[in-house]
Amino acid sequence: MELVATAQFRRAMERAVAAGAYSERIVRLVGDLARAGGDASHPLLDERESSKKAVLLILTANRGMCGGYNGGVLRTAVARLEELTRTFEEVELYVVGKRGFSYLTYRDYKIARSFFDFEDKPTFAEVDAIASELLERYQTGEIDRLDVVYSKFYSISKQRPSAETILPLTELAATDGDESAEDAPSESRLQFEFLPSPRSVLEEIVPTAFRAKTFKCFLDAAVGEQIARMVAMKAATENADEMISSLTTTYNRARQGQITNEILEVVGGANALS
Amino acid sequence: MKCVAVTPEKTVVERETKFVVVPLYDGEYAIGVGHTPVVGRLGAGELRLTLDDDSVERWYVEGGFVEAANDVVSLLTTRACKFSELDLNEATQALNDALNRPATSPELREIKTKAVATARARVRAAEKAARR
Repeated sequence: MELVATAQFRRAMERAVAAGAYSERIVRLVGDLARAGGDASHPLLDERESSKKAVLLILTANRGMCGGYNGGVLRTAVARLEELTRTFEEVELYVVGKRGFSYLTYRDYKIARSFFDFEDKPTFAEVDAIASELLERYQTGEIDRLDVVYSKFYSISKQRPSAETILPLTELAATDGDESAEDAPSESRLQFEFLPSPRSVLEEIVPTAFRAKTFKCFLDAAVGEQIARMVAMKAATENADEMISSLTTTYNRARQGQITNEILEVVGGANALS
Repeated sequence: MKCVAVTPEKTVVERETKFVVVPLYDGEYAIGVGHTPVVGRLGAGELRLTLDDDSVERWYVEGGFVEAANDVVSLLTTRACKFSELDLNEATQALNDALNRPATSPELREIKTKAVATARARVRAAEKAARR
């Protein structure tokens, strides 16, 4: 299973890296926009005043055998859920993965939607269906906030369960400021012509950034799951090897003890007869 | 001049070109060597790449952005496929789905208009691909 997890991890990792190029370009484009002097205001970027309904999207695995992966994510999720219930009248749960579903139903949480078709390679179309639905509900004012809990990927040796607010997309507004403040290399200081206008480009880029962000969460979760499984299975294999060697030793000792005993008995018997 | 098209999943196109025609939100826009730096909003439609040997490669892209600077044209799009991979039935189905969406509030109407426009563009592209 360690080998299977390793192979799946490689695939998931490749996909995550490929997706990185897209998000990177989006961030760069937002930076260019900010430098072009367009003020970055967009309905998806502003905090809502009303606090009627929030959605919490929880990304867990379909299968276990991956150490503390699901547990970590679910603990963070429950903490965030309690936080949200304090501020919002109603909190809907969207759960991805059988593990999360059974954990939460067992604890009597009401789950609005659940998805079990995501494995180690979520496709953009699949994720986009969920993202679009949520985006639409946010735009029409049906929900006021969307949080996601997933295992965030920092490096191969470090992933942490993390809870983030993705609608409103305050993160993007923050990158805006950073980008314009930092000293960009001269090549990206080009004066761009915007078609039709910086505002219109911004209008389009915010939903795109949201979709890309959601997709990245799914990819991070997939990579995190495979890494967790790989580590857990490696530990299990090593543990089993160790157990086998200690059991073999015990078995050999017992057998040798028995043989020695029998020889002593035979020798004792022969001595008694002579 | 280099042309790069990326979707959230992967880099779809990365090649040397002579001339690129991109589908902007309101019509086609051509980019040649030495074009002024530009950022544009893409619509759904045909992306035409004229390669170094004067052959033309056709792609279908759906929404996103194009950025041209320093003789590199980069497209960020949610969906990109070869023209020949378009499926007319699937596109027509998508158009019907879009037409059946509710439009009971201004926000929903806006979402619907956009979905319908995108689906129409895909049907047009698929029909064009079928004629070839």
